Amino acid sequence: MKVSPAQTALSLGVLALGVATAVTTASLSGEGGYAQIGPNFMPAVVAFGLIACGLWLLYEAMSGGWRDHPSDDPAARGDHAFHAPGFLWITAALGAHMALIGTAGFVVAGSVLFAGVARGFGSVRWLRDVAAGALISLAVFFFFVRLLNVNLPAGWLSPVLGGAGI
Amino acid sequence: METFDALLAGFGVALQPINLMWGLIGVTLGTAVGVLPGVGPALTVAMLLPLTVKLEPTGALIMFAGIYYGAMFGGSTTTILLNTPGESASIATALEGNKMAKNGRAGPALSTSAIGSFVAGSIATVLLTLLAPFVVSVALKFGPAEYFALMVFAFTTVAAVLGASTVRGLTSLFLGLLLGLVGIDSQSGTPRFAFGVPELLDGVDVVVLAVGLFAVGEALYVASYQSRLTGTLEKLSGSIMMSASDWKRSWPAWLRGTAIGFPFGSIPAGGAEIPTFVSYATEKKLSKHPEEFGHGAIEGVAGPEAANNASATGAMVPLLTLGIPTSATAAILLGAFQNYGIQPGPLLFQSQAELVWGLIASLYIGNVILLILNLPLIGIWVKVLQIPRDLLYGGILVFATLGAYSLHQSWVDLLMLYVFGLLGFAMRRWGVPVGPAVIGLILGPLAETQFRRALSISQGDAGVFFTQPISATFLAITAAVVIVPWIVRRWRKRRPAEYQAQRGRHADVSKR
Repeated sequence: MKVSPAQTALSLGVLALGVATAVTTASLSGEGGYAQIGPNFMPAVVAFGLIACGLWLLYEAMSGGWRDHPSDDPAARGDHAFHAPGFLWITAALGAHMALIGTAGFVVAGSVLFAGVARGFGSVRWLRDVAAGALISLAVFFFFVRLLNVNLPAGWLSPVLGGAGI
Repeated sequence: METFDALLAGFGVALQPINLMWGLIGVTLGTAVGVLPGVGPALTVAMLLPLTVKLEPTGALIMFAGIYYGAMFGGSTTTILLNTPGESASIATALEGNKMAKNGRAGPALSTSAIGSFVAGSIATVLLTLLAPFVVSVALKFGPAEYFALMVFAFTTVAAVLGASTVRGLTSLFLGLLLGLVGIDSQSGTPRFAFGVPELLDGVDVVVLAVGLFAVGEALYVASYQSRLTGTLEKLSGSIMMSASDWKRSWPAWLRGTAIGFPFGSIPAGGAEIPTFVSYATEKKLSKHPEEFGHGAIEGVAGPEAANNASATGAMVPLLTLGIPTSATAAILLGAFQNYGIQPGPLLFQSQAELVWGLIASLYIGNVILLILNLPLIGIWVKVLQIPRDLLYGGILVFATLGAYSLHQSWVDLLMLYVFGLLGFAMRRWGVPVGPAVIGLILGPLAETQFRRALSISQGDAGVFFTQPISATFLAITAAVVIVPWIVRRWRKRRPAEYQAQRGRHADVSKR
């Protein structure tokens, strides 16, 4: 019987999360007043639950694989084979957005995010994507900042946008 | 009579021009976003939640109910024309609706789905109106022990009983419960699982979790596994009118779908997936044209769509009267209430009667607006479907990050969004349901509070959950829904020979 490394890794991940929860719980106070249970009770229940689920998943992974789970063959699920660039472009786009939004502002970060995600979906017209992203981010920026008074950073564009975000 | 007066006062609130406008904006936005492929009702509500931060509660919640309903209507259009069900409850519709569209009958399919949703939504809203005061009168007698037992029941059915795998449902639930623990403990003020990160002290926001799981997770999955496939958008040619025979075959299916969907939504055992499949199976069995099933039978669209909408309205019963969400979407709506410091439950019907009844009245109005919006204007929504996927997901992620960033103006929330996106990707790939995690995040802290309150009253005696009759009953039902199916499975496994023989005989009979 072949054992799926992915299922084993995920099962061990759940188990490890349960153990980490239990370790963190140990440092919480058990002082509970009238109820006689404190802020550490529920975390202990969750830790126990995660450890139990992790062991159960591991047992299933070792004994013929998780029950009734989606096929490992992409074609059987109606998908194509894993296309790593799609995954990586979206990850990179979200990473760049995180790094940029504080300094460059909402509109610049949003345009980069938009273009990166579109690239991940196979678009090669990056100029069109940056322009479309800028248009959408600008519209959202003005709508939220001017009409809803939500605070968004103008960043590098604050001379143009009139520091509308502050 | 009291109910009628309250509802009338509710209409007074909902028909105020400003609230009518929020309702109209809500259903329009809900339809427009719900139509987008891959965007289901839960994500629609979560993505549009930031829009309401500065609105007053009544208007905001009316708008939200509109978004919820609009997303349900919009989702059916996508399912029928594109065959990409945005949520599991639409799979039954996809079976027949897309086949009808392929046969050039997209118009009648969209019509029976929209009118059926209207009929089901309206009847279900009447049932909600009649049922809510009754549930409230019962729930007023509930103490912390009863609430806790009811929540355990909801957790169990949602996580352990309804999905494909009990252990994966429970894993998802415990992940949600763990995330719900993050932040300052409401009872003692102790920070838990925050690790000194200020953004975590406020707890994990339901918007970040839901948008991460649904939007970022979906984008990662589709880019990795589906970006090089091309979907076919069926054309909407010819009339959208239904023929006399279409009407004759549709209306009994609408009514049966409503009868099946509403109870499933209103008991805390939510999920619209099961009633839609029950309705589909029922229609197939009762139809005079069973040979058309699988090739575009109109009853197979009418019934499940009605069941889906009736169950969505039914979910409002436990949400409004008990404060218990039974679906991921209802959990996010509960999050919207909590943003305003409002805790739904029996007391809400007394302290905020105007708000609750205004919300219920707005459901009646929303249904009418949606019917008008969807049938004559269907051409506009079909245009929305033609947005290329690369631009579509770019736009979705700009909105997704906006919701997370506007919480604290911090990149830490964006990092959490991405981590939940990775989680959503893995959960989709390996078949772990995401609904229980969202429900666990919202309902977990409420359950903990009730549990500790109950124990405070009983001075730490855990017997209180088993000696109070109502609480004991809920716990007994919970045990039964777990144990009975397990015993049945066991029993079947133990007698494979007899069981198979029995099945064989049935097969022979049906062949003759």
